[in-house]
Amino acid sequence: MFTRLAKLPVRIGERIGLLEPDVEPLPPGARLPRHTFRWDLDKTYLRTEFDSIKDLARSAIETAADKQAFPGATAMLRALRQDEHRICIVSGSPTQMRQVLAAKLALDGVEYDEFVLKNNLKNILRGRFRALRAQIPYKLPAMLRSRIAAAAEHETLFGDDAEADAIIYCLYADLVAGRVSLVDLERVLTASRAYDDDAQHCLDLAQAVPKGQAVRRMFIHLDRRSPPLGFRRFGPRLVPVYNYFQAALVLYEDGVLSARQVVFVGLEMLDSGQYELGHLATSVQDVVRRGRITRDSALRLVAEAAEAATSGALSGRTDLPPFERISEAFRARVRELGNTVPEDPGADEPLDYVRLVDEEHEHRRSRRKHGVS
Amino acid sequence: MGGDLAPEEIVQGAAEASLALTSAEIILVGDAAVLGRLLPNMRHDGARVRVYHAPQYVEMDEKPAEALAAKPESSIAVAVDLVARGDADAVVSAGNTGASVLACARRWQLLQGVRRAALAAVFPTELRRGEKDDPFSLILDVGATVDATSEDLVGFAVMGSAYAKLVSQNRRPRVALLSNGAEAGKGPPEVQQANAALVETTELNFIGNIEGIDIPRGVADVVVTSGFVGNVVLKMLEGVSETVVRLARYAHKERLAWRLGLVALSSAIDQLKSITDWQQYGGAPLLGFTHPFIKAHGRSNARAVGNAIKVAHKALTGNLCGNIARTMAELDERAQRRALEK
Repeated sequence: MFTRLAKLPVRIGERIGLLEPDVEPLPPGARLPRHTFRWDLDKTYLRTEFDSIKDLARSAIETAADKQAFPGATAMLRALRQDEHRICIVSGSPTQMRQVLAAKLALDGVEYDEFVLKNNLKNILRGRFRALRAQIPYKLPAMLRSRIAAAAEHETLFGDDAEADAIIYCLYADLVAGRVSLVDLERVLTASRAYDDDAQHCLDLAQAVPKGQAVRRMFIHLDRRSPPLGFRRFGPRLVPVYNYFQAALVLYEDGVLSARQVVFVGLEMLDSGQYELGHLATSVQDVVRRGRITRDSALRLVAEAAEAATSGALSGRTDLPPFERISEAFRARVRELGNTVPEDPGADEPLDYVRLVDEEHEHRRSRRKHGVS
Repeated sequence: MGGDLAPEEIVQGAAEASLALTSAEIILVGDAAVLGRLLPNMRHDGARVRVYHAPQYVEMDEKPAEALAAKPESSIAVAVDLVARGDADAVVSAGNTGASVLACARRWQLLQGVRRAALAAVFPTELRRGEKDDPFSLILDVGATVDATSEDLVGFAVMGSAYAKLVSQNRRPRVALLSNGAEAGKGPPEVQQANAALVETTELNFIGNIEGIDIPRGVADVVVTSGFVGNVVLKMLEGVSETVVRLARYAHKERLAWRLGLVALSSAIDQLKSITDWQQYGGAPLLGFTHPFIKAHGRSNARAVGNAIKVAHKALTGNLCGNIARTMAELDERAQRRALEK
């Protein structure tokens, strides 16, 4: 009885989103994950509009059933959920949204290992209004804490083009790889307008985080349809994608997903009614043209997908044309490019994060001036 | 890829259209290397803009027949061929008009009942029309062919009316024949015979003959004439408009009082400019084939190209070609009935 009473304030705190459960380290003796996939939620997994106050209000009162995942994202998350794989969600949504977001993920059948949300109520109570909008001082330490708790050999990150995901993910990748010094990180945190104690905490985490070339791939979902060339400076490891079929194609080339799993991502997109087979074929052509996958990989995938289709991946799909016709359409899209050399996705060069953060702030100011939050 | 501002403005227009028309897929036909360099620099939907490599293109000043013979892999030939094979549904081009018309004539079929295709053009008028308050009238033919028989003129009237209904959302567009007098007996024999045939149609809102002076007034929503006359009229309208602009520039330079007068009128001039902005219209249709072809102005910028793509999309979703074919069949059926009665 006494124990239950003693736990009551904690339970109330958790209920109102003031207290957040800590990221728990792996139990002693547990094997480290082989591959961690870190996902943002809004505009990456969920189709969320927060460009206006009205959008924000609507998003806050939506039920789990109202929320919509991007076509293919659920199939992708399910495909990534394998033995020794870890799914970690870090979202800028407030902790008060935990119940509805968790319910949405449960409805979609998405399992995860970590789910971190932003404790904005705590920020308000502490008078830290700057922290309400800040992205880097929130997301970076959250990701570092997660890696300290369970460091995987490989990591793949999924974000979007709405905010500073590309900068945060590259900074995280470079920190983990030991390519950004603590002095440089401190300068970035200052430019990000982090509070002193938060900055110090982040520096401590950066020092403690297990190092290695873990982050090999980052995806930026082009929800705002930003020009992909704008992401070229982040190097070939960061791939801007228009949809999750394109992400699946890149992960197939990386050896993370099988052809069969790529087919399932594509099928979910077709089932959404927002894509047709032609759109998927054009998506293949787009990533080939941008030099994000090779023609050989695209053609190999078509051949392997044909095998998957004949072994039952498309069983019961009478709504689709015979797979020979589908695969020929995909091959034709690649041929339509002629013998042109694909675009060079750029080199992996050191990034000036302070400048990137300043540019992002300027961009955000300009968007606010033009009435877009 | 032809056009004075190609490929940058054409690609930009297509990129913008891909965001607006989510149900459509846009195929950019041209040098894949160039298009592949341009597209990633623009906001677009990568699942809805496809590139089809065509290593050649017809220059704006090339002779159509010679150019098409010498350049079988030109972007216009490839684009028209894609439609003929069923891999695409419509073509939009800002390139060489003659080569576009010729390519369509060689690879596409005419609609049943249509004897000749017609190139239509829009021009600004005093009056506005339709649900969209459209300031533009349509004139056809403006040069797909040179002469026209009375049957051709009737066909042009049907095609122009169907297009105006769809694009200007004008339920009953007023159709007129261009002649040298309003009376039915005026004009050359083919115009008189066309007048007699059109008077008997119930499918069209035929208002009779009009004179050249009635064109800019906007008396008719669809002006029907032969390709030779239409082309002369169109060029004259463009010439008059350019002369007015040149005179205004001259006035601006010549006297301070005139300059002040122009400044005072500037908002009205801007208003006039926005009303008569051809870029909002996108392009002119080539009517009569089994597929829509929208000919964008050679100087088209991204906005004009985007609008031309939207017009092509509207022509497809509104079944423009089907509507023309249906009306032509109805006219044909009536003509046969009358022949039997006689």
